[in-house]
Amino acid sequence: MSRGGLFTVGRSRRPVTATLILGSIILLAFLVIGLVPGFFAPYDPIEFNYDTLLSPPSAEHPFGTDNYGRDIFSRVVWGTRVDLQIALSGTVIPIVLGTIVGAIVGYVGGWAEFFFGRIVDIVVAFPFLVLVIAIIAVLGPGLFNMYIAVSVVGWVAYARLMRSEVQIQKEMDYAAAGRGMGYGAPRIIFRHLLPNAITPVVIYWMTDMALVILLGSSLGYLGLGAQPPTPEWGVLIANGKNFMATAWWISTFPGIAIIVVGVGFSLVGDGIADLIRPSG
Amino acid sequence: MNTITSPDTLLEVRDLRVRFATANGSAAAVDGASFDIRRREVLGIVGESGSGKSVTLRSILRLSAIGGEVSGSVIWAGRDLMSLSEREMRTIRGREISMIFQEPMTALNPVLTVGEQIRDNLEEHTTLNAEQRRQRAVELLELVGIADPDKRIHDYPHEFSGGMRQRVMIAIALASSPKLLLADEPTTALDVTIQDQVLKLILRLRDELDMGVILVTHDLGVVAQTCDRVVVMYAGRVVESGPVVDVFARPQHAYTLGLLNSVPLAHKSKKTLQPIPGTPPDIGDRPPGCPFAPRCSFATDECDSQPPMKQVSEDHRAACWHHEKVAEGSRAA
Repeated sequence: MSRGGLFTVGRSRRPVTATLILGSIILLAFLVIGLVPGFFAPYDPIEFNYDTLLSPPSAEHPFGTDNYGRDIFSRVVWGTRVDLQIALSGTVIPIVLGTIVGAIVGYVGGWAEFFFGRIVDIVVAFPFLVLVIAIIAVLGPGLFNMYIAVSVVGWVAYARLMRSEVQIQKEMDYAAAGRGMGYGAPRIIFRHLLPNAITPVVIYWMTDMALVILLGSSLGYLGLGAQPPTPEWGVLIANGKNFMATAWWISTFPGIAIIVVGVGFSLVGDGIADLIRPSG
Repeated sequence: MNTITSPDTLLEVRDLRVRFATANGSAAAVDGASFDIRRREVLGIVGESGSGKSVTLRSILRLSAIGGEVSGSVIWAGRDLMSLSEREMRTIRGREISMIFQEPMTALNPVLTVGEQIRDNLEEHTTLNAEQRRQRAVELLELVGIADPDKRIHDYPHEFSGGMRQRVMIAIALASSPKLLLADEPTTALDVTIQDQVLKLILRLRDELDMGVILVTHDLGVVAQTCDRVVVMYAGRVVESGPVVDVFARPQHAYTLGLLNSVPLAHKSKKTLQPIPGTPPDIGDRPPGCPFAPRCSFATDECDSQPPMKQVSEDHRAACWHHEKVAEGSRAA
């Protein structure tokens, strides 16, 4: 891939690509919308309005209304907050836990490697969605239980990434130099190796947030995640499925929102990868 | 064998053996190395690649690669480092004995500023507070000859040139005022002019900080310029040791003689260089007697048995059956 950027940042002249800029603009827009949805949404996202049932997109209701007369645009706007929350809450525990466990396992090796390997075996033996659904089936549906289920399964991917990266870094001369200076394992792992090993994890995090939004929407659609009338995009799509033939706009606009946010995260992930990939 | 330990002795290595398990059985990278280093002395360990010199150096701090089986003893301040716990070793490493590496490029952490890396050592080994650590970091950079130290502590390793990075590495290693510095080919990756500066820096610091230095190198010029005494290693064994002047003027081992004849040295500049024929033995398949015998022009049947380390003069030892003939040969040349 071309390393050319629109401009560069930092003393080391890192390329800032169009990919990163476009992705950042998309995410920033959604972030602002998610922070102050009331400012953008013309109507209440939950209150029923029986005068405007199933009206198609118009100047008054740009995305149309649903079978309860609720403005789809307002529901998509308020849904931004819920889905961004899902993206963050569903990844924060996996990234922290996975990074710490992966770094320790990668450095210590031996018995730690063995136990970790068995945990990985268990997790990769099941498809991700199936395992998450199974855990939610035990815990009961709802957003909070969904976060638990996603965290229980999701940290393993971060840990594997971190482990393999730390295994590479610990063979570097500077790690040997650290041991030669008499530094303890915590200092070597978390101060010296981790910052050098974190890059793939950050990039994966971006992709993972997009995946978790899709997962949250899927579970919302299946009735296992956010519960109606919460304006979550997956719930919105599920809500419109019975009217697909007559009122396409109910499911379509939330679907587009999911795609655009997903693309935004992917672009930012790629852009960051370009930015921090060692040059030369 | 030599058992007289002078009160001046800083570190004593006795019968060090490092074995690695390989597909064809175990191979001894170091096979019974013994030497010592005295206070304020620069000791050179020379040998070609694979002679075990770097493994020897790392084994002093018990840093040899995983899977290496180390035996023998390393006496430091009355204690055998080989018998210390890992926790006790950590109070020796970086505080009492420090080490610097060949590649200053990769031996520094790329994501931490040099100031942070110096302070890491101080945090680990001293009780200085944050402000004192900062001051000490500046002092150390100044000590190793880096201009504008109070600004440069905020720079990252990639913002320094190769020679400057090696100075930074030395500053980190010296942060806690060690009594012994282990230097593993510290100048090999540097330009010749920079090499000279770094070696002079090490010599100056040896005087100012009153420490011993063990310098591993394959460069006889570096030994001649820098070291007080030299240990010559071949195929994992110490074949000769003694004061640099004696060893260079009157080598007592055929391998040392061969080494000296194969490099241009100023005082013998008009001689044709003579390469040593052949290659060193595989350490997994060492000849039973003198490891150098198959390449040696002095070799006789006697060399099929292992020659003992013989004292040839006060401080000069060699493991060669024919050391007298070798010495004569060197004089004749």
